[in-house]
Amino acid sequence: MDILLGIRTQNEVLLITSRSLARGISVLKSDDVKVLECNKHTALAFSGEPGDTTNFVEFIRANVRLYGFQNKQELTTHAVASYARKELATSLRSRKPYQVNILVAGHNGTPELHWIDYLGTNVTLPYAAHGYASYYVLSTLDRWWTETLTLEEGLELARKCIDELEKRMPIDFKGCNIHVVDQNGVRLHE
Amino acid sequence: MDTVIDQLPKSVDAAAALPACVNGLPNFEFPSIDTPSAFLRAFTDDASNPDVPIKPQHGTTTLAFKFQGGIIVAVDSRASAGSWIASQKVKKVLEINPFMLGTMAGGAADCQFWERWLGSQCRLYELRNKKRISVSAASKILANVTYHYKGSGLSMGTMVCGYSEKNNTLEPEIYYVDSDGSRVAGQLFSVGSGQTFAYGVLDQGYDYNLSVEDALTLGKRAIIAATHRDAYSGNSCNLYHLKPTGWVYHGNYDAAAEIWRLKEAEGSFNDIRTK
Amino acid sequence: MSRFNPYGDSSGGSSLAIAGADFAILAGDTRHSTGFSIDSRDQSQIADLGDGLFLTSNGFSADAKQLVDDLRTQIKWYHHNNNDHKLSISAAARTTMMLLYGKRFFPYYVNPIMIGMADDGTGAVYSFDPLGSYDREPSRAAGHASELLMPFLDNQVTFANQLDPQTGEPRKRLDLDLQTAVDLVKDAFTGAAERQVQVGDTLEIVILTKDGVDRQYYDLRRD
Repeated sequence: MDILLGIRTQNEVLLITSRSLARGISVLKSDDVKVLECNKHTALAFSGEPGDTTNFVEFIRANVRLYGFQNKQELTTHAVASYARKELATSLRSRKPYQVNILVAGHNGTPELHWIDYLGTNVTLPYAAHGYASYYVLSTLDRWWTETLTLEEGLELARKCIDELEKRMPIDFKGCNIHVVDQNGVRLHE
Repeated sequence: MDTVIDQLPKSVDAAAALPACVNGLPNFEFPSIDTPSAFLRAFTDDASNPDVPIKPQHGTTTLAFKFQGGIIVAVDSRASAGSWIASQKVKKVLEINPFMLGTMAGGAADCQFWERWLGSQCRLYELRNKKRISVSAASKILANVTYHYKGSGLSMGTMVCGYSEKNNTLEPEIYYVDSDGSRVAGQLFSVGSGQTFAYGVLDQGYDYNLSVEDALTLGKRAIIAATHRDAYSGNSCNLYHLKPTGWVYHGNYDAAAEIWRLKEAEGSFNDIRTK
Repeated sequence: MSRFNPYGDSSGGSSLAIAGADFAILAGDTRHSTGFSIDSRDQSQIADLGDGLFLTSNGFSADAKQLVDDLRTQIKWYHHNNNDHKLSISAAARTTMMLLYGKRFFPYYVNPIMIGMADDGTGAVYSFDPLGSYDREPSRAAGHASELLMPFLDNQVTFANQLDPQTGEPRKRLDLDLQTAVDLVKDAFTGAAERQVQVGDTLEIVILTKDGVDRQYYDLRRD
């Protein structure tokens, strides 16, 4: 199970995603990136059914960009989240629904994090996780997350979470990427 | 409730109704059909079918860890039968004797019965050998039982904790024993549906050199973390400290009240918004 | 292939017990039903075990009866072996656990509640799960209306999550006086009979004090 974790800090949002990409009994890739820059200030982190995931987020990105070109006005993070949620909710009622869970992280003056699952649930949260990882790190975040974290403190908390996952998860997820979304846009931190 | 040791020598009461024993184990009645375990699963396993008529009590977070000052044992107190909260104040730490504690996760009856039975086996060992049984030996007695009944439907995940004499000094020991027949010695364990949430706080706050006070606080905090995220854990936390001189009970803490207190004191639980 | 099913759905309605400082109450309605058919409107479900012990076991009636028979046999042998020594409720509870757990792999479909006076003179309620896990409690409900009765007891006996309007402190569980407790039991069952089809007809209340046993009857809805 892939790790998808988001932490909102005072001035940015951190996205922590596992680097392993496994199919069947083999690891195909150990430097996989599960984060996609949607527009300048919004990133999507994704997990779920192979094939559905990339197809879905690229579709969302294409339409978000199209909207930007046509209207000379980029969608806000909130709007991207609402749009992605609507697509998932519509897809759920189709013959072959997308089985994709996402985190939408962005910065429009203030940092913002949305947790969205394949059923079309959209919640704005201070910190969020998808999959088995949530069973380990939500309590860690409940304990140490505060509203006023600096980037450094946020990264330290992210490392605490990764440390816990490395200690307790039964699979080797080949480490994690940390993406930072702040007023300058989306960047890979490490 | 009285401890097992309190009950045993007091009167003939405790021996009132032991079923006939075979090889020191009670003699159980099985249905005379080809697959008794499939029958038991069909009527009592509420995990595979929520509509089973007989719902044993389930669900738990328990933890125990060794540190510089001994062993901390902390547990929640909720028992659920399906989604029904069957009891709000279960005692999930079973006082096997004044020096040994057992924790209870999985089937309430299985843990309660076998850990009490283990208490009497430990007492018999003392009477026969004029010395206390080691935690290692006691946990092995329990693991032999769970392995004997493997596959027939027992459900228990327990930690046997205590001090044992090892080359003339008393050493703390924790053994994890479950109904698969596993028996594992270790430094830190958490067992039950809320174990992952407890680990998330315990691992990150743990240090062998913790003071007794800080260790008690950490054990309690990890249980509260689990009651917050795991619906099958909750109500209150029971805390114990094991020392070479025996165990000390450190009280019962209401989980609902503790969360608000901790939120205020630590600035934590920021997923709960207040305005 | 027909599946082996030794359990039926014939049962008593519901039962409820409250322990006080110097009394214990066990109450149960006298309706007996199989599925949605009423078999009897006057079937007591409170068993007098002797030695001042009373037991109800909701679930499957035939298993409940077997459990009572087993317990009576155990108590009889206890008297024979121990010069008619009275069986204390703590030992009776342990005995019940042994009987239930002895059938761990072929369980009785029952949720027993036992009352008696403890050795220190306080009222005692012990409740069990079908496999024998048990504890002493201030109050307990079982049977078809347990999910209606139990929250009512939490509110009125344990005062769960309530603050004292004067002090703002959590309301302390006062040891109820006997009359208040009996009134609570009547209210609880009138409420349960209102909403649960398997509960009704007559409420039988057994009241235990140091002076002995008192039995009261109280009418419930008969429809």
